[in-house]
Amino acid sequence: MTQSNFNVKDGQVTSSILDAEQVLDNASQAQFDAEKFARYALIGDAMRSEQNQAPCIDITASMADALADEVTYGEQAPQQEPQKVHQEDNVVTLSNWRKPLAQVAIAASVSLIAVLGVSNYSPQEQANGDFPVLQSTPVTGSVAPVSLSSEPALESAEKGLRELQQQRIGALVLEHQRQSRMAHALAQQAQEEKEEQEK
Amino acid sequence: MKWLALLLGVGLSAQVVASDIINAKQLLTDMSSAIQERNFDASFVVVKGKGMEPYRWIHGKVDNSELEILSRQNGAGLEVVRIDNKVTYFEPQTQPYSIETDAIAGPIPEILFGEVGSLASSYDFVLGGKERIADRAAQLVRLVSKDEHKYNYWLWIDIQSALLLKAAYVTQQGEVLEQLQLTHISVTEQPAPPLIELSSKDFPMPLASLAQTDNAQKLQNNWRIGWLPEGFKLLKSDRHKLDLNNELADYFLFSDGLVEFSVFVQRPLSGQRASGALSSGATTVYVHNSGAFDVSVVGKIPTMTAKAIAESVTRPL
Repeated sequence: MTQSNFNVKDGQVTSSILDAEQVLDNASQAQFDAEKFARYALIGDAMRSEQNQAPCIDITASMADALADEVTYGEQAPQQEPQKVHQEDNVVTLSNWRKPLAQVAIAASVSLIAVLGVSNYSPQEQANGDFPVLQSTPVTGSVAPVSLSSEPALESAEKGLRELQQQRIGALVLEHQRQSRMAHALAQQAQEEKEEQEK
Repeated sequence: MKWLALLLGVGLSAQVVASDIINAKQLLTDMSSAIQERNFDASFVVVKGKGMEPYRWIHGKVDNSELEILSRQNGAGLEVVRIDNKVTYFEPQTQPYSIETDAIAGPIPEILFGEVGSLASSYDFVLGGKERIADRAAQLVRLVSKDEHKYNYWLWIDIQSALLLKAAYVTQQGEVLEQLQLTHISVTEQPAPPLIELSSKDFPMPLASLAQTDNAQKLQNNWRIGWLPEGFKLLKSDRHKLDLNNELADYFLFSDGLVEFSVFVQRPLSGQRASGALSSGATTVYVHNSGAFDVSVVGKIPTMTAKAIAESVTRPL
C-alpha cells in the first residue's frame, strides 16, 4: 500500500516537473523518475506529432541484460578446430577429408540418374517402336483413361506407383554401379582359381 | 598364272590382317603400361546423351607404389583412391570402403589397365585411322564385338605417349552413345602433389572375402537365366536388400571382361505395369514384368540384349 502510494506520488512529481509546474531542484529530484520522465515526454511528443523521426525507444539496456546470460557459440569453435586437425592429420576419414564434396545427399545423385535416364532415353528406340519406353514421367497432352483422370484416388495411386517404380529404378542403377566395382576383382579371382585348378 | 596371283593376293591380305591385329593389340598393351607407368594429371568429361560429367584423374608413382586418384567434379561427389592393390571409394552418406583390386572401376573399363588380350575371345581388335584429339595425334583402335549383342568400344590412343585420349561406346550401327574425352593432360617427371600427400594417409582395410561360391551355387538354382550373350560369365549372385529403398532382390552380376550387367529379380510392384526400357548413355535399364516377379537388367548392353536376358528368366522346374 505504501509502496503504491509512493509510486503514484512519484509519478505525480515527475509529471508536474514535465509540465513545468514544479521546479526541478534537490527536493523534487529525490522523487524524480528519469525513466518515467522520458516516457511521458515521448507520449507528449507522439500526441502532438512533434517528432519527425520515429519515436526512439531505448532497448539497449534490456538487450544487454538479456544477452548477459546467453551462451557464446562462436568463440569456442575456432579454438577447438586446430586441435582436431592436428590429431587427425594422418588418419583419413571421409567426414574430414573432402568434406564439402560429401554434402550433397545421395538421394540427389540418384534422382539425377533417374531424371537423366528419363529425359535421355534414346529417340532411336522410340522411333523403332521395338521397345515400349517406360513412362516414368507423365507425358503432357496424352489422353488418360477417363476412369483414371476422373478419380482422384486412383490417379494418386497411379502417381504413387510411378514414383515407386522410379525409386526402384534409381536403386537398381546405384546398386549396379556399386556391384560392378567388384567385378574386376571377382573376375581376376575366378581366373586365378581356374589356373590353380588346371595345375 | 591367274590362280597363282589370286593365291598370292589372299596370302598377302591375310598377312596384312594379322599384322593389323598385332598392331592394335600392341597399341592397347602399350596404353595399359603407359597408364601404369607415367605420372600424369588429366581432366576428362563423360558425355551421355545430353548429360555431361567432368572428372579429374591423377596418377603417379611415389616410392615404388602406384597411386591414383579419380574424382567426379560435379554434383554429388565421388572420390576414388588407389594405392597399389587397394582401391577406396569415398561417397556421400556411405562409409568409405576398400576393395582389393588393381584398377579403379570408373568410366574407363578396368580391363584396359591390364591384360587386354583376354578380350580377344569376344572382341576383334581393329586398327582405325589417325585423328587429332586434345591437340595430339591419336590412333583409333576399335574393339569390335563378335556378335550384335554387345556394344563396340572405340579408343583413341596418343601416338606419342600411348595414353588414352578418347573413348566411346558405339552401337553396331555406328552410332556413338557415350563418349569420354580428355580435355587436358600433363605428363610430368614428378608425381602431382595430391599423390604425395596421399602416401601419408591411412585408408580402410579392404573388404574381406569377395566371393562366396557356395552361396552362389545355391542362388543360381533359385532362378534359371535361360539366355546370356556369348562370353558373359557369372561373377556373383546373392540375395540382398538394395541400399536405397530397402527392397529385397535376388542379384546376379555378369561380365564379359569389358562390360558388366546386373540381373535383379524382385517381387512385382502392385498394379499392371508394362515392361519397358530406359537408357542413359550406354547404360540400359530394362524392367520386365513377368507376372509373379519382376526382372530388371542394368548394364552397358543394347536394349535388345537386356530384354532378351530379362525375358529368359524363369523359375526352375
